[in-house]
Amino acid sequence: MRAVEDLGLIGAGPEERFDRITRLAQQVFGVGAAAVTLIDGRTQHHKSQYGRALEDGPRATGFCDHTIRNEGILVVEDATADERFSDFPSVTSGQIRFYAGYPLEAPGGHRVGALCVVHDRPRDFTDADRRMLAELASWAQREIDRAEELDRAGDVQRALLPRETLRLPGYDIAGLCLQSGAVGGDFFDWYTASDGEVGLTVGDVMGKGLQAAILMATVRAVMRAGSRVARPAEAIAAAAAALHDDLWRTDTLVTLCHARLRPADGLLRLADAGHGLTLMVRADGSVERTGRGGVPLGWPYDAEWPEHTLRLEPGDGVVIFSDGVLELYGGAQAAFREVAAVARTAGTADELVAHLGALAGALAVLPDDVTVVAVRRTA
Amino acid sequence: MTEVQAGERPDVAVLRIEGRLTMVNAPALRASVGEAVEAGRTTVVIDLAACTFMDSSGLGAIVGGLKAARQAGGDLRIARLTPQVRTVLELTNLDRVLRPHDTVEAALDGG
Repeated sequence: MRAVEDLGLIGAGPEERFDRITRLAQQVFGVGAAAVTLIDGRTQHHKSQYGRALEDGPRATGFCDHTIRNEGILVVEDATADERFSDFPSVTSGQIRFYAGYPLEAPGGHRVGALCVVHDRPRDFTDADRRMLAELASWAQREIDRAEELDRAGDVQRALLPRETLRLPGYDIAGLCLQSGAVGGDFFDWYTASDGEVGLTVGDVMGKGLQAAILMATVRAVMRAGSRVARPAEAIAAAAAALHDDLWRTDTLVTLCHARLRPADGLLRLADAGHGLTLMVRADGSVERTGRGGVPLGWPYDAEWPEHTLRLEPGDGVVIFSDGVLELYGGAQAAFREVAAVARTAGTADELVAHLGALAGALAVLPDDVTVVAVRRTA
Repeated sequence: MTEVQAGERPDVAVLRIEGRLTMVNAPALRASVGEAVEAGRTTVVIDLAACTFMDSSGLGAIVGGLKAARQAGGDLRIARLTPQVRTVLELTNLDRVLRPHDTVEAALDGG
């Protein structure tokens, strides 16, 4: 029963896109309750229900377990007269006498649940009723398919993030990107350039969901193409020019911070396009903000991006984060203060990133994508 | 979002944002600016005194409106920013190219 678990729908809580279907089904048929059920190894779960409350229960005494055994609709006009169901607790207690269900499939074609309607009195179910239930079930089916499509897009997007930690003697580097939805507009990237310098990028494409995700992949690719450009400000200017038409047509802004680290002596050159969320924490605990940068990519008119130079001495670190972190702390001032405090106490870049990841993970709903890249010079 | 009268000038539109300006109503703002510009009111002032929260999508709509106004030979200006909106503008450095004005009148006079 991996198929149903892979859907990620069980335990995900109610969702309006399914609730509006059960609400409509209950009203159209004038029955006691309507539900979208999902069945795993042992249990019949109610993903959505409307009308009289239905309890999740054992698969063995659930009607929908019978529905998914065959293709097409299952109608039980009077369960007390059908020996397959007459001894189910829901029938002997009088809760259910009428049942009609239409199977729902996982993307692989396995039947994993049903759209069903139940009533506490026997009921006829005409051909027109059957067609209507099949129609509503096909709607629920589309919602399941759509969730699957988004999840796949999310997999692809995660594959665009660095998979491995950059091993760099004398440095400690960590990064994290948590999308608030299945897909999002944040990303980070790192690589070792041909001259031995390390390139670091954190970007945030305005907006949410698929539209942001499509542009995120584009911006990342354009910045990757700039890996041969040694000066971050030039790399940003080149990306801004390359993306100008795309961003103009879509009214999109992209904030970006791009840096190059020379490992031998800790020289860090950094340019910022409206991102503004970079902190340097020195070995002695003092905090510096980098100077002001330029405007976001997508600003339709002339722009310049200044370049700032920092030097990381042993024990110094730099943290670049996205504005989703501001919401973790309830505002910009608090976020700068708290991220600096975490950077001071964290032993490694990994620990710092894990701390912010745990904060984000503790929220039931992440309001915005959260991205962090941390670099510390250890020796 | 409401459009308010701006005295005698037929080339001016003042748009007031109330509440949050996010992905939800950013398209509506963009459309309102488009309508004003098409009607010849190419100097557009966005009055943000009652805007409690703006995100990057809201900012995108304002920049989109600026493009529309300038293409028509006009301009778009912003006035009366609340602290949160001002912070968003400063963090993104857009305050330097889209200068905030203290009053709607100042926005109409200034560049």
